[in-house]
This record gives sequence, C-alpha cells and structure tokens, in this order.
Amino acid sequence: MSDRKIRVTVTIDPHLAAYAERLVEAGKAPSVSAVVNDALEAERQRDQKARRLWREAAERADPDKVARMLAHVEAQAAQLPASHRYR
Amino acid sequence: MSEDGGATPAPYVLDVSVLTAITRGDYGIMTFILGLDASGQPLVIPALAIAGASLDLRSDDTEAILHGLERLESVMIAPLRDAEQAVRLAAVIAKTGLDPWDAHVAAVADAAVCPILTLDGARWREHAADLDEPLHFIEIAEPDEPPGGPGPRALGALGGTRSRHLVYLLPCFCSEP
Repeated sequence: MSDRKIRVTVTIDPHLAAYAERLVEAGKAPSVSAVVNDALEAERQRDQKARRLWREAAERADPDKVARMLAHVEAQAAQLPASHRYR
Repeated sequence: MSEDGGATPAPYVLDVSVLTAITRGDYGIMTFILGLDASGQPLVIPALAIAGASLDLRSDDTEAILHGLERLESVMIAPLRDAEQAVRLAAVIAKTGLDPWDAHVAAVADAAVCPILTLDGARWREHAADLDEPLHFIEIAEPDEPPGGPGPRALGALGGTRSRHLVYLLPCFCSEP
C-alpha cells in the first residue's frame, strides 16, 4: 500500500474538533489531520491487540474440551421452553 | 427441515462468571465464545455485567479482550438505557437481592425472554424463581459423561454443526482485516 496520504471528508463532534484545534495551537500536533490520523492508528492498534489475544486463546485452547462444552450447552438449550429457544 | 423451521436462536445473556473467565484470559471459555459466535448464536452482554467482571481486573489486556469480545459479530451490548430501565433494574435488585451486575443480567434475560449463559449454575438455580416469570439458564461445563447424562458421545458432539463451525470459521475473526 502506498504511503501517500489520501484526502477524506469526515464529520466529527464539535468538542473533538475543538480538542484537535487546541492540540495544534499548543504545538502538540502539526495539524488536525495528524490528530485524526493518530487517533485512527491508535484504534487500529487496539483492534490488532484484541485480535491477537483472541487468536492466541483459540490456538491454545483444547479443541476437544471446547467441543464438549459446546455440545453440553446445545443439549441444555434443547431442553429450554420454545419461548427461550427461538425468535 | 429443522425443528425450528429456520427461526433465529434466542440470544444467550452472558453473566458475570462467563465475563470474568474471559477477562482473565481463559483460553477454553474464550474459544467456546468464538465457537458460539461462529455458529451465529446471538450473545447479549449487559453493560453492568462487564463492570462486575472488570472490578478486579483492569489491565490493558482486559480492556483489549473486552474490546475484542464487543467486536464479535454475534455480540450485542445491552446498556442501561433510560430511567425506565434503571427503575426496572432497581425492582429486580429488590426482588432478588442480587448485586447490580447480576441483577442487570437477570433483568435483561427476563425482559428479552432469553436464557442466561453461566459458569455458576448454582447461583441462578437459587434465583430462578425470584421474578414473576422463571429465569432459565444454561451452564457451561465439561461433563464427564455421567450415566444417562448429556455426555458428548451421546450427543454426537464432535460431529456437531458448531464443532465444524469452530474449526472453519475461527479464522474469520482471527485474520487480519
């Protein structure tokens, strides 16, 4: 993927826009675009970490044990009254 | 044709015991939840139950795990939306004597007519008749094939639909976007 920045038009809450402007005025960020870019990057990293932790769990879990738990739950669900089983 | 005629399964309401296991990084329970998600089983998480499960565990990993849970396709967070729901929660607390987080689970399950998914069946057995309508719950356990019980072999578990989904659909969540 190219490193070249692309232009997008977004709508954000007024207090967040004001916050970004303050960061720029205080010299903490070079531009409002940079603030938005950093926020998206932080969100991407947050997603990435969450994905990694759940992937590691899936890799380390005992699949037979999980299958037994799922089957046990299915068996109990089948015993529920219809009102609690389907929509 | 299946017994349900293609109807959507009723959501399971996750309780604090399940969420605590998840926030502690229990591989088995996390993968179990992934399996339910992969099979399309709707899951509802009362917001206060998240608070209850996060009381003793507030690390970056906990936050990330909960964030990942919220991102699952079948998961929906049930907030405490307005004054009416807050008052209803108070009534459930008064009737059951449960903590607010457990009471929120009970209130959501009662209002939505859904079973509670729990690791602590004894807790819900104790409170099953506290409200006007009985609370139903499903206990996550790994049975040791009790005589006559719902053991995995009797149910054909390893060839079951959800087991196959678990194997083939986990990469949907685990792969990079």
